[in-house]
Amino acid sequence: MESKMTDMNNKGMFGLEEKLSSMLKPVMPDPVFMSKLKTRLARTPAILIEKSKRRMGVIVVGAGLFAGALTVWIISKLKKR
Amino acid sequence: MHESEVVDITDQNAVALACGGNPEAFSFLYEKNVTRIYNYIYYRIGSASDAEDITSRVFYRAFGHINTYVDKGVPFSAWLYRIAHNLIANWHRDNLRRKEVPLEDHLDLPHKADQPERMLEKNQELILLMKAIRRISADRQQLILLKYLEDLSNAEIAQIMGRSEGAIKSLYHRALIALREEMERIGYKSD
Repeated sequence: MESKMTDMNNKGMFGLEEKLSSMLKPVMPDPVFMSKLKTRLARTPAILIEKSKRRMGVIVVGAGLFAGALTVWIISKLKKR
Repeated sequence: MHESEVVDITDQNAVALACGGNPEAFSFLYEKNVTRIYNYIYYRIGSASDAEDITSRVFYRAFGHINTYVDKGVPFSAWLYRIAHNLIANWHRDNLRRKEVPLEDHLDLPHKADQPERMLEKNQELILLMKAIRRISADRQQLILLKYLEDLSNAEIAQIMGRSEGAIKSLYHRALIALREEMERIGYKSD
């Protein structure tokens, strides 16, 4: 009984594999797209330097902290006078 | 680079030359991989225009970071597939609320040699099959597409997916089971 079930299961899988290999065929991208992309890639410098969002965040937070500390320092100086 | 060098070039040579800014090496890597990367993306998302957009981004990212590529003895395409896989995940995340992909995009492409009625029937079948494929997990989709579109062996897929051959065999079996279940769920009869 169990082997029959496995048999049916395997047949089902085989059918699915056949279906996949008959239906999934490679498609050709639009040649205009391919050639335009090739040209654009050739014009772009080889190494791109992406701006790091993390670095930008650190700079903003750092600048904020510095400005805050400076304000506190100025206020404390003014109060002493 | 002379023409004879281009003929003999390997992926690894081309990557080394591309790192040095050689435009012909870039062209070589592009020509060799663009169709397969486009196909992979197209079947994962089902929209030709979005597939073109993501394919462009894959190559911009790859060529922009080619100096960070580490040769681990796997084909250069494995790196491109990994970039594509990540960009597709981002695309799905960004489009979660967007309406379902226009599956009719497939209608004008494969099975061109058939009779019109049979062609339409096949395309309807393909639409349902793709719908089922897109409902299984991303790694299972990747495996199915690499196996059937690229006709790659388990060993080659293992290299691309960064897993052992045994893990791929087991994932493949699970992918087929999951796919059959999804097909039944959407009312597709595979027999």
